[in-house]
Amino acid sequence: MSHPVYLDNAATTPVDPRVRAAMLPHLGGRRGNPSSLHASGAAARECVEEGREQVAELVGALPEEILFTSGGTESDNLAVLGLGRAALPARRHAVVSGVEHAAVRESVRRLEREGFEVSWLEVDRFGMVDPEELADAVRPETSLAAVVWANNEVGTVEPMEELAKICAEKGVALHADAVQAAGRLSLDVGRIPISTLAISGHKLYGPQGVGALYVRGDTSLEPSLLGGGQERGLRSGTENVAGIAGLGAAARLAREELEERVRHETRLRNRILAGVAEIPGVHMNGHPEKRLSNNLHLTVDGVEAEGLVLVLDALGYEIGSGSACASGGHKASPVLLAMGRDEREAFSSVRITVGKDNTPDEIEGFLEAFSQAVARLREISPLYTPMES
Amino acid sequence: MSERYRPQVIEHLVRPRGVGELADPSGVGESGDAACGDIARFTVDVEDNAVSGVRYKVYGCAACIAAASALAELVEGRHLLAAARVSRADLEHSLGGPLPQGKEHALTLVLDALHSAFEDHLNREGGSSLVEGGTSSAGATHDNGVVAAMSGGVDSAVTALLLKEAGYQVATVTFRLHDGERGSRSCCSPDTVLFARDTAHRMGLPHFTLNLKELFGQRVMRDFVGAYQEGETPNPCVACNAHVKFHAAAFLADKLGLYHVATGHYARVAEGPSLARPVDGDKDQTYVLWPVPKELLARTIFPLGEHRKTEVRKIAEKRGLAVAYTPESQDICFIPDGDYRSFVRKKVRAEPGDVVDLGGRVLGRHAGVVDFTVGQRRGIGVSAPTALYVTEVRPSTRQVVVGRRRDLEVSEILVRDMNWFLLPEASRFVQVRYNGAPVPCEIEEGETKGEWIARFPEPVVGVAPGQSAVFYTADGQRVVGGGIVSRRTP
Repeated sequence: MSHPVYLDNAATTPVDPRVRAAMLPHLGGRRGNPSSLHASGAAARECVEEGREQVAELVGALPEEILFTSGGTESDNLAVLGLGRAALPARRHAVVSGVEHAAVRESVRRLEREGFEVSWLEVDRFGMVDPEELADAVRPETSLAAVVWANNEVGTVEPMEELAKICAEKGVALHADAVQAAGRLSLDVGRIPISTLAISGHKLYGPQGVGALYVRGDTSLEPSLLGGGQERGLRSGTENVAGIAGLGAAARLAREELEERVRHETRLRNRILAGVAEIPGVHMNGHPEKRLSNNLHLTVDGVEAEGLVLVLDALGYEIGSGSACASGGHKASPVLLAMGRDEREAFSSVRITVGKDNTPDEIEGFLEAFSQAVARLREISPLYTPMES
Repeated sequence: MSERYRPQVIEHLVRPRGVGELADPSGVGESGDAACGDIARFTVDVEDNAVSGVRYKVYGCAACIAAASALAELVEGRHLLAAARVSRADLEHSLGGPLPQGKEHALTLVLDALHSAFEDHLNREGGSSLVEGGTSSAGATHDNGVVAAMSGGVDSAVTALLLKEAGYQVATVTFRLHDGERGSRSCCSPDTVLFARDTAHRMGLPHFTLNLKELFGQRVMRDFVGAYQEGETPNPCVACNAHVKFHAAAFLADKLGLYHVATGHYARVAEGPSLARPVDGDKDQTYVLWPVPKELLARTIFPLGEHRKTEVRKIAEKRGLAVAYTPESQDICFIPDGDYRSFVRKKVRAEPGDVVDLGGRVLGRHAGVVDFTVGQRRGIGVSAPTALYVTEVRPSTRQVVVGRRRDLEVSEILVRDMNWFLLPEASRFVQVRYNGAPVPCEIEEGETKGEWIARFPEPVVGVAPGQSAVFYTADGQRVVGGGIVSRRTP
């Protein structure tokens, strides 16, 4: 059987062959701990610093403002917990959007249990945060705000520039989860005054298990990992040299190819949107324009997401489910619920995310498979009666 | 995130069997709802006890769809008795093994929907007999088939097991009697029903349900409230045995072509047929079984009548029945908290009245006659030098009459609504309370036809109108017959 067509690039992206090439020397031939004084150590250090420069360039930061982590979740955890725990006792209040990735949401909940007060910002039906609401929610004791730059589920891009300016004016540290945004939006922290920003390797055609956190120079963070004091003492532990080499290469490619990738993804995504629009009872979630180039999030009336994902899988197309199955005792996506969707809609939602390597032919094949799968599952569903046409 | 599905699940998901809805089904059943997330709807055609058609629709995860498909495949064309035996384990087997953790609910969901469709079919067949009551016409001949009523508790489970081991062809049935079942939810059947089904299936027995809520509501719950309004003290178990449980079991037996019915009561059926006390005197339930019609008693088996309760628990433990550890149920089933006063108060408006003594002198006020039963000592709200007891409740004048203990003594009672198993003349003892001891008596027919007078050589205390009077033979072992103690005195 031929390879399945992969349309779940928001879950993870395949490693670019050029990234792989950058990593391979560190997975065999080369050796050395970046902290060692000898030549091998120095070579490894050089490689780590090169990666740091490449990541810094992608987000418009200084190299010394980048630190490496094990991925997006660790970056989000370190930023939120680190900012919160470093806050003065009189400033233990946070403002957080209701559509955060779990890595941010759960870190904020941890702060809440540690005595933080949190104001959760509502979003509109597109999942968009209103900058005015953020401004209203900020109090004199607010030390921290967190808003996802581009939503990992529905793809909505938040008005980060406005949000960051409000936070900067009010002296509030803003953390932005840019795991999905990196490589698709221009993330210039030189222009947009964000305090911390999280990035992940494997959403950028880099390897899994490596990420980065941008920390603005004047920001104080309480570290979570303690030990040898690597990464400016903020993230102890021997650096993942191969991973960092991969992330660095991926960041460089993302910067160089950003426009081309976005153009390609947008074209494919729009083709899917046009195709599925012909199927009745299929609705797009998230903002119609202000959205990631690769993301299409759909609610398919009368069809449970898991069945749709697995039928498509059987047909050779891999997509993501919006929310986990109710039978599994899982909850509906808090993001969709925050956008005003009900549980049924949440359970009927899937996420299709294209990537730089998808082709127009694959998309045409997908559209055929998708309408076939939807029709088949609707035949089974007691909740869908076709409208008279 | 979650384990992967087996290929058999994916196969059923991608190529589901028997999807759709029958145009004119004989039964429709649904399980699950929006709150649960998943919904399964089955339509069935049952002809001559064979499942001639089955179609389903499912909204739910892949496991739900696959389970529905596998279930349809397993029951299509089968005899109802075989179809009703298909278990969670059978479904698992045809899906290649256990479902991923957290997905097991799919099996329960689709089985519940199919069984609800069977229930709908049977309820439609039963028509008014399952709504208004009355006996159905027995069509089956004497054979070794039996319908065993199954509540999910240890007694009924062991009943079914003993019958199976004795070589009977057993079908089990759980009755839906009211909406207050333990573990009730808006979506699936209450836990008690699911548990009973699972218990039956683990024994390899078919399981059915019948919806008797209307019948039970009218003949048991409404009459229960009505009795209090009449100043009587009802016994709902007696009413259920008189009108609901045995009739419904016999109806199902007739439908399935099985002769016998069985319950987990502690009693025995002796020649006549008549009722006889069980081996375990402490668990004796003959007092509440007197109203079972003779023609139904003739078809009834009480396997537990031959066993002591301690043995029954041991049997359950030894056979690994999960019910072995369920606690004893004591309360009135539709009033699980035991607070029958509040239950009655919710149904009727209580009007205040006078508390009077035997001479008619007003001693105080009360909030409603439904709060009182004859023999009651607590909560009268009148202080007196000696303890006061309720001796009579008079709903027409809203009076509660109180007196001393000896004022409760009666030397004769009038009994109505008789059901005789033996010649009335055989009566030598009468029992007037569930846990009371039988007392010697002599009986004679009352002035009104069908009413009997029981006379006690020694006065008896605490006879409440509405309770049962059950007559026993000279050896005290067999029930001659029974009736309801009337408010009127002879």
